[in-house]
Amino acid sequence: MGLKLMAQQRHEHSLALLRIGAVWAVLILGLTITLTQLRIDPGYLVRRSDILFKIIDGLWTTIGVSLLSVAIAAVLALVGALGRLSDNALAQGLSGFYVSIFRGTPLLIQIYIIYLGLPQLGLQLQQAGFRELGQLFILDALTSGILALSLNYGAYMTEIFRAGLQSIHHGQWEAAEAIGMTRWQILRRVILPQAVRIIIPDVGNQFIAMQKDSALVSVMGVWEITYLANRSARLDSKYMELFLVAAALYWLLTIVSSFFQSRLEKRMAHAYER
Amino acid sequence: MQRTYRVIYPLVLAALVLSACAPAATPAPTDKLAEILARGTLVISTDPAYPPQSELNPSGQRAADTKCAADQKTAGELTGYDIDTAVAIARGLGVEACFVTPDWTLITGGGWSDRWDISVGSMTITPERMEPLYFAQPYYTTPAGIFVHKDNLTLSTAADLAGKKVGVCAGCTYEAYLNGTLQIPGETINFAVTGADVKGYDTDTFALEDLSLGDGARLDAVITAVPTGQGFIADGKPLKQLGDPIYFEYLAPAIDKAASKDPVAFVNKVTEVVQGLLKDGTLRALSVKYYGTDLASPAANFDVAALKQLP
Repeated sequence: MGLKLMAQQRHEHSLALLRIGAVWAVLILGLTITLTQLRIDPGYLVRRSDILFKIIDGLWTTIGVSLLSVAIAAVLALVGALGRLSDNALAQGLSGFYVSIFRGTPLLIQIYIIYLGLPQLGLQLQQAGFRELGQLFILDALTSGILALSLNYGAYMTEIFRAGLQSIHHGQWEAAEAIGMTRWQILRRVILPQAVRIIIPDVGNQFIAMQKDSALVSVMGVWEITYLANRSARLDSKYMELFLVAAALYWLLTIVSSFFQSRLEKRMAHAYER
Repeated sequence: MQRTYRVIYPLVLAALVLSACAPAATPAPTDKLAEILARGTLVISTDPAYPPQSELNPSGQRAADTKCAADQKTAGELTGYDIDTAVAIARGLGVEACFVTPDWTLITGGGWSDRWDISVGSMTITPERMEPLYFAQPYYTTPAGIFVHKDNLTLSTAADLAGKKVGVCAGCTYEAYLNGTLQIPGETINFAVTGADVKGYDTDTFALEDLSLGDGARLDAVITAVPTGQGFIADGKPLKQLGDPIYFEYLAPAIDKAASKDPVAFVNKVTEVVQGLLKDGTLRALSVKYYGTDLASPAANFDVAALKQLP
């Protein structure tokens, strides 16, 4: 490719970026004007910076809950996807049932059932004499929330992982088998490294959705962004102000994660670049 | 592949069975009060959504030398009449107060699974709540009042609310009042409002916000605690109270009947502590501090034995 042509392409690319930036600037201006039309008191956030910082404190809980949940969900999803692709009836049945039940019921209901229901099983176990085992079922609010988010997103991600694994041509399994690799070796050395590239964008998407769904754990009294915004708002009835702060924090969080996601995708794509 | 599974299943099963059969360790106390005293902390549930009863203290820091568990909050992180009362009760028991903040709906139904010991959450004693919960001596009273928009000139008595849109928190006593089903042990209710168009809200504050939008815009009136409504007015919201309080509620600490340790001695001990706090003026002073008026003293007249709740 000629240097001139490359320079021309670069020029066009930066022009396109500039145009998109201009559209964003106009939209942000429009949003700001709309927001100033609301009955809000932005000075409140400056006067009560202690409240502002308290809500920002909740950011760490939100990040922690989402990161931990997405990590556990990824493990569940890998196991679930292997189950769905397995020849074994029990593994297939288990993973299919898991996906069906956790994808088919609302997350908020799952949170309530795990928080309220599991301890009842635990208490019955304790009454039956299994004290230590029963105690494991009595989870605090934070653990219940992480468990519910992990199970729910694990079910969605099982399907993503399954599609990713299936997208690798079956000939590769046969070729690897032919040179004497075990199934586990094939999975680890041949299939997963290729499947991950296909899985990453969808998992990133799920992670962004999860950051916002983590707001649901506020019903159990976990002090994350939504809980702190909601409860702080009641101090001086500043609902609009503090919900806007919460919205801005979530937006910021997802912008940062999108950035890292695109970095990761670029890295994964290296091997396929020409 | 098949072979691996054949090995794994029995292993997993064996692990489950073994962990289930693990012998129980040293016997724990079977009495709730003994357990709390041994632990050195009283775990209290509160929903900091109701200033000035219970609210966040944004500048509050976690106490450094606390015995509270990591997922529990220390007294300094919250503030309000309920919080200070809970701290006084804990002091009366000789233990530290620790707080958890589950949603209100998770508190009133009982079945707390030992996650917390007691609710000090301005909970009204009702027959429904007496099914899953024990109540100790009430620590104050709340008058329930009707609030309308400041601009309203047509409503003058409680009876005028017939056919009007009245906002209340769903599942609260105010909703039961509008439905004519409210029973408060120890009190005869006069159902002055009949045939209102009841609008249920998550919490009273959202109903009051909607009422503030304009007279009849979304609501014609809200029934809520007089202190809650007056707090909104003090914040500059365009509301006013309609007439006198329609009834009084007795607000008491609640304890889960389904606790795995026997709670009866604990209930009696809390009653004894609260009666002491009513007698020595602690609660009256707290009420004046947070509400500007003494809502506590009438609670001393309530005869908790008349509830006939303890076995």
